[in-house]
Amino acid sequence: MTVARDSYLFTLDVPREYPEPQPGQFVQVTTLAELVLRRPFSVAGFRDGRHLELLVEVRGKGTRGFAEAEYGSTVDILGPLGNAFTPPAEAESAVLVAGGIGVAGLRYLAEKLLVEAHRTLALVGDRTRDALLDHLFPEPAGGGRYRVMTATDDGTAGFHGAVTSLLEDQIGRLEGNARIYACGPRAMVREVARIASASGLPCEVLMEEIMACGVGACRGCVIETEGGYRTACKDGPVFDAADLVLAEADDDGP
Amino acid sequence: MPDLSVAIGSLRMRTPVMLASGTVGYGAEYEGLIDFGAVGAIVLKTVTVQPREGNRPPRLCETEAGLLNAIGLENVGIERFLEEELPRASRLPAPLVASVGGGDVEEFAELARAAGEREEIAAVELNISCPNVERRRLPLWADPDRVKEVVVEARTETSKPLLVKLSPKAGDVVSVAQAAERAGADALVVGNTLPGMRIDVDARAPRLGNATGGLSGPALLPVNLALVWEVSAAVTVPVVGSGGVRTADHALEYVMAGATAVQVGTAVFSDPRAPSLIASGLARTLERDGLEDVSPYVGLARKRGGR
Ligand SMILES: Cc1cc2nc3c(=O)[nH]c(=O)nc-3n(C[C@H](O)[C@H](O)[C@H](O)COP(=O)(O)OP(=O)(O)OC[C@H]3O[C@@H](n4cnc5c(N)ncnc54)[C@H](O)[C@@H]3O)c2cc1C
Ligand SMILES: Cc1cc2nc3c(=O)[nH]c(=O)nc-3n(C[C@H](O)[C@H](O)[C@H](O)COP(=O)(O)O)c2cc1C
Ligand code: FES
Repeated sequence: MTVARDSYLFTLDVPREYPEPQPGQFVQVTTLAELVLRRPFSVAGFRDGRHLELLVEVRGKGTRGFAEAEYGSTVDILGPLGNAFTPPAEAESAVLVAGGIGVAGLRYLAEKLLVEAHRTLALVGDRTRDALLDHLFPEPAGGGRYRVMTATDDGTAGFHGAVTSLLEDQIGRLEGNARIYACGPRAMVREVARIASASGLPCEVLMEEIMACGVGACRGCVIETEGGYRTACKDGPVFDAADLVLAEADDDGP
Repeated sequence: MPDLSVAIGSLRMRTPVMLASGTVGYGAEYEGLIDFGAVGAIVLKTVTVQPREGNRPPRLCETEAGLLNAIGLENVGIERFLEEELPRASRLPAPLVASVGGGDVEEFAELARAAGEREEIAAVELNISCPNVERRRLPLWADPDRVKEVVVEARTETSKPLLVKLSPKAGDVVSVAQAAERAGADALVVGNTLPGMRIDVDARAPRLGNATGGLSGPALLPVNLALVWEVSAAVTVPVVGSGGVRTADHALEYVMAGATAVQVGTAVFSDPRAPSLIASGLARTLERDGLEDVSPYVGLARKRGGR
């Protein structure tokens, strides 16, 4: 299903015995048989124990090939892999910050938080209105405990500016403790980490890196942390923002 | 059921399908995903004397020809390898081969002794493609005289089968192979990756953090196959083919070129079932051809054509 220009939501029927993924985990997908590597995608939803959802933005050959897969075709996936987000404590509100396709990494978490009626603020940013993926976060079923706000760089929808500026704007208005969850481009992640640290709030980010094995064997997907290189696939993809060494030079990401 | 087993000295392997160093880590990471029962031996990630942090990311880049990697030999060092990783790996139902990489002759000798001493280790593979610390005219992998010294010293430190993994980068791979054989190598692995790089035009920068890396996968198959062809004609010890093996027929190409066994690396990334599928594919081919074991195929292509 097309959900925005060049972004697609896939529903995969998985076998009954498929293990329940945790928010933050991902699967390694064979997108095209001729590619040497699988492509990692976050679990963007899991329904009835049988339906695994992936939200994919076309970036290159693999994602293009996957987007063009025929309805009803069989997909080879490995996973769920990696660690998971720490659920917010009872008294903490959850603040989700998603930039662009970063919505994919936080959507499953948002769904769980909504089901648990946890106090949640989801911030979704993109360049412009047509690209926004905020509608992929679950619909609030009434009640004021779960809110979605948007930001666009060009001001065509929601807050006019970066989603990180929206975060700064909102953070002061939060009542009580909060825990931040972020997924998006490296520059955004770096800025969220800075804001979290300045406000003394715990913050977890989902980090992307090119992957080969996906299981911690090849050491190909490392992320620099205060404690040295850690694998995005096994030690991550979720990292405590305070542990990360985020250099401006790496903002373009992998 | 045909017998797929092959041997390199005392290293007895159920099938000729080995797992290549660095691609399956210390083995345990792939527990439950790879059918280790179908694997001849697991070559563990190359270990060095001191722990190594490895290169700055990105460390991987997929290309039309295959995979570029610049891991930079990240590893926990021989001490932790022996204490922590080896006990875990030894649970796996396949023989273990330790891959060691030294910066000089003494380090290779020390590593071969330390690894060879352990009963969990069935054989030792010398990774002579490691970056070396000595300043010399030729890098180790291209220098037959130095390779001979390394193998002679390692040989005196262990009685376990010694495999020497050659680099296709060496100008004269055959001379390096012969030097290793004369120095006491029990088998030659042909071979490691080729150097390569890609540039991100938009970022105007290399795609790998280390700029250049090693090319593995499909592009390596014809290159290393030709080297196996040449090397196996020039030595009498078993040759192990490595590079781009993804199917049973790829494995058979190496065998028919003169290899006794193959190593599978990059193919495991796209499909952890590849090693067992290759093994079962080999068994089917043997059955089809009415053969009891693999040996009639070894070097068969030479008997049929070529030189
Ligand atoms: C843990 C994790 C979860 C992810 N979740 C999602 C998701 O839910 N939805 C989604 O659309 N994308 C997600 N990604 C990113 C996705 O994996 C890449 O966009 C995809 O691999 C690109 O493949 P390609 O063949 O289309 O592009 P390529 O042709 O391989 O490359 C195109 C561009 O994308 C970059 N790239 C390649 N691989 C990755 C990668 N693994 N991570 C980031 N950038 C990459 C390349 O450097 C290049 O600039 C995730 C990545 C990780 C590591
Ligand atoms: C990610 C990666 C890491 C590797 N690490 C090592 C290593 O530590 N030591 C080594 O001898 N070879 C290493 N290699 C080379 C492989 O063992 C193998 O020889 C090579 O990749 C060619 O085989 P393939 O095409 O089947 O992958 C590595 C290859 C890859 C792709
Ligand atoms: S992809 Fe191999 S270690 Fe992460």
